[in-house]
Amino acid sequence: MNDRCAPGGSAWRRLLLEAVVICAVAMAVGLSMNYRMVMNAFTGKSVAPEPLRTTTVEVAAFPDPVELEEVRELLAAGALLVDARHGDEYRQAHLQGAVSLPLGELESLLEAFRKEVAADRVLITYCTGFGCPDSFDLGVLLLQAGYQQVRVFEGGFPEWRDAGLPVQGEGL
Amino acid sequence: MIKARLLLFHGSRLLLGGIFLYAGMLKAADPVAFAGQVANYQLLPYAWNYLTAALLPYLEILCGLLLLLNRWVRPATLVLGVLNLVFIAALASLIVRGIDIDCGCFRPDADSHTSPLSALLRDLGIMVLVLTTWFLERRKNREERA
Repeated sequence: MNDRCAPGGSAWRRLLLEAVVICAVAMAVGLSMNYRMVMNAFTGKSVAPEPLRTTTVEVAAFPDPVELEEVRELLAAGALLVDARHGDEYRQAHLQGAVSLPLGELESLLEAFRKEVAADRVLITYCTGFGCPDSFDLGVLLLQAGYQQVRVFEGGFPEWRDAGLPVQGEGL
Repeated sequence: MIKARLLLFHGSRLLLGGIFLYAGMLKAADPVAFAGQVANYQLLPYAWNYLTAALLPYLEILCGLLLLLNRWVRPATLVLGVLNLVFIAALASLIVRGIDIDCGCFRPDADSHTSPLSALLRDLGIMVLVLTTWFLERRKNREERA
């Protein structure tokens, strides 16, 4: 009677075991499909969408991606962080020391930026990470504008913040 | 089991399976963008957003498939029920913290914006499907064994 009406201990154990098997299979498939992405994320390497990587290699006039560790080394050597996000996002919070140059307003802001920043200075563009294209597009445009050393920090704001590095802004 | 109840069981099983298979496939197609949406919740450390984005879609796909195929219905429903509870808790935390982002429930790059509250209400609806499937399956099993 009991084992007919309500699942007994063994029935629950079996159910939980089956649920665990489902989770394990899903994890194995998910990890094998996205192994590189997950490993890159955990080892601090950039997680860029594949198409962007190939075009970067093929055409020399595209900015090179740069990882967090190298960003810190470049900054120590005098590089400048350039925030490609909207002005509002920059005002809320940005990487310490970054200047704002929103991709959408580049045309109107470029002249002033050129007066402030020398063409041989190393620039590191960033945006909201996770495959956001703005930092890369801004990097291309800055190269075309005559800047010689432009790099893209693809981890962007979230990777920097989550690494515990200093951010500043009104929204903090 | 009376016919109407059997129809209700298969209806909710197929609907639940279909919803999660669809949602999982959309997310699995663009894991980097989905990781960005997980990160918008501001609940996990940086790299864990990617791990979640790598695993979660396949859990949804597998459970959805099992439900559609009418195999391992109870454990798949259990997993989806637990997942749905986690989603509801995450969405509630957004509302409490006043963060208004797209829920990232289906298409990661969608222009449409599903607010946390409407996503939470939708998840409560899905919870009804989970419970319907769970209890009717149990009842069906009992009657088949009797």
